[in-house]
Amino acid sequence: MQFKILPIKENRKLNSRYFVLKVPDKSISAQSQPGQFCEIKDLESDEPLLPRPFSIYKVEENTISFLIKIVGETTRNLSQKKTAEMISILGPLGNGFKIPKNKSVLLISGGIGYAPFPFLKNKLQKNGNEIQWLHGGKDKYDIFSYDITNYTEDGSIGKKGLVTDDMPFILGKNDIHTVFACGPNQMLKKVSEICEFYKVELQVSMETIMACGMGVCCGCIIKYAENGEVIYKKACKDGPVFDGRKVVWDE
Amino acid sequence: MSNLEIQIGGMKWKNPVTVASGTFGYEYDELFDLSQLGALVTKTITLNPKKGNEPCRLAETRAGLLNSIGLQNPGVEEFITEKLIKYDKYKTNLVVSISGSTIDEFCQIADKLNPYDNIDAYEINISCPNVEKEGLAFGVEAEVVRELIAKLRATTDKDIIVKLTPNVTKIEEIARAAAESGADIISLINTVLGLAVDIETKASRIKNGIAGYSGPAIKPIALQNVFRVAQAVDIPIIGMGGICNTEDALEFLMVGASAVAMGTANFSNPLITLDIIKGLEMYLGKNNTNLREIIGSFKLQ
Repeated sequence: MQFKILPIKENRKLNSRYFVLKVPDKSISAQSQPGQFCEIKDLESDEPLLPRPFSIYKVEENTISFLIKIVGETTRNLSQKKTAEMISILGPLGNGFKIPKNKSVLLISGGIGYAPFPFLKNKLQKNGNEIQWLHGGKDKYDIFSYDITNYTEDGSIGKKGLVTDDMPFILGKNDIHTVFACGPNQMLKKVSEICEFYKVELQVSMETIMACGMGVCCGCIIKYAENGEVIYKKACKDGPVFDGRKVVWDE
Repeated sequence: MSNLEIQIGGMKWKNPVTVASGTFGYEYDELFDLSQLGALVTKTITLNPKKGNEPCRLAETRAGLLNSIGLQNPGVEEFITEKLIKYDKYKTNLVVSISGSTIDEFCQIADKLNPYDNIDAYEINISCPNVEKEGLAFGVEAEVVRELIAKLRATTDKDIIVKLTPNVTKIEEIARAAAESGADIISLINTVLGLAVDIETKASRIKNGIAGYSGPAIKPIALQNVFRVAQAVDIPIIGMGGICNTEDALEFLMVGASAVAMGTANFSNPLITLDIIKGLEMYLGKNNTNLREIIGSFKLQ
């Protein structure tokens, strides 16, 4: 874990909803695992007060990048940052995905839940895994790649429907070792029900409101079922990747 | 280089900079050498483990942060076996924050911690707004504070720091009760009661409802409370509440705090304490002055 103040190398707008922030870095990326995250703060504005957590999107030679969705003040400010403007980065934080070897795996992402998966896919491939990737969104603006199977609720790109629609069929027909999922809680809940039914391992990456990012403040609690009781886990330090079949999904 | 050393109660601090309980721990060790701080303050420990409050526990609002953690902690036994040893390597003062739901509980925790020489002081948290029985119930009544601190005083030789809540009418009365019953130091303020409403659900953005408010928004509230307490008692004060930079820290020193603590600011910049130590050093050097001249130099009129 490091705290660094870095200039933006590139801020690439994908569409009205998403952008990719790239900063020069060797040391944070060298420590990073897929599924880990960094806390980023815009240094030119005091507000919002807290940095925000973002999944590590890609680690390339001498750069680390983040896929970000514009949802509030921080992300809007960051989307307008220009090259060479400074941001602070704390990371890598949390526990990443556990990577199997030589298995068949299924990736399920929804919307901005796409963010940790390019880095994950890279690592999965290096470990000889066979990968299927389903991605879902509301409309065509939530779609990032044509090399995977896409679903949109309005049918503007890919199959019309939800990313979970074909999951039972795929899990029933194939010998899937692990499902990796990241997306809205409603989607994750559905994914966990399907994985529970087919008794397939599930690793989910969770998002919560967060402060310190390193397990100190106990602000980012996830409800988790273990040995018949509900316990509290810290998303930042115990996660953000959890056994999806043990997370308690509130309505 | 300016001398930042300061005597607080029975402790010698290498500088007047520490951290607010619950916002900092040995986890920051990966980022800098924690021995550089005047003191380290742990998250509050209770007699038995506490699971804490239901999530959601945090909500950021303009210039501030609402929290309702509910004193989540592993309890004093596990603190001793698992956590205390991790603070051993730091060459600075260690303050353990404690809270209880009865006077007897506070005393039992102190009894268990007393044998450990690496603990220099207890911060008595009688001001957490987020638990039902603990904390705030003690901090709002002078007579209860008097009895609690007198009993604790009889159990320990370590420094006793009493942490006050701003959520009272006459904070001077509480401060005097603490000082007269044997407290060595007063720290203030704990969080201010606050609320944020989710207009979609018409419910609090924090699951537990009303929460504790911190961050730059509460600095003026904290300053006037520190000023009033400094007028009321002769024991040293650790001032906190929204401190984000050296200028903020100087304001607290000027109204009478002998030391300052950073809380929410650690989340924005985990190196903020070091920045402020450097900033204070530079200020004193540049103005050819010292801490003694600065502390309490403010005049209301």
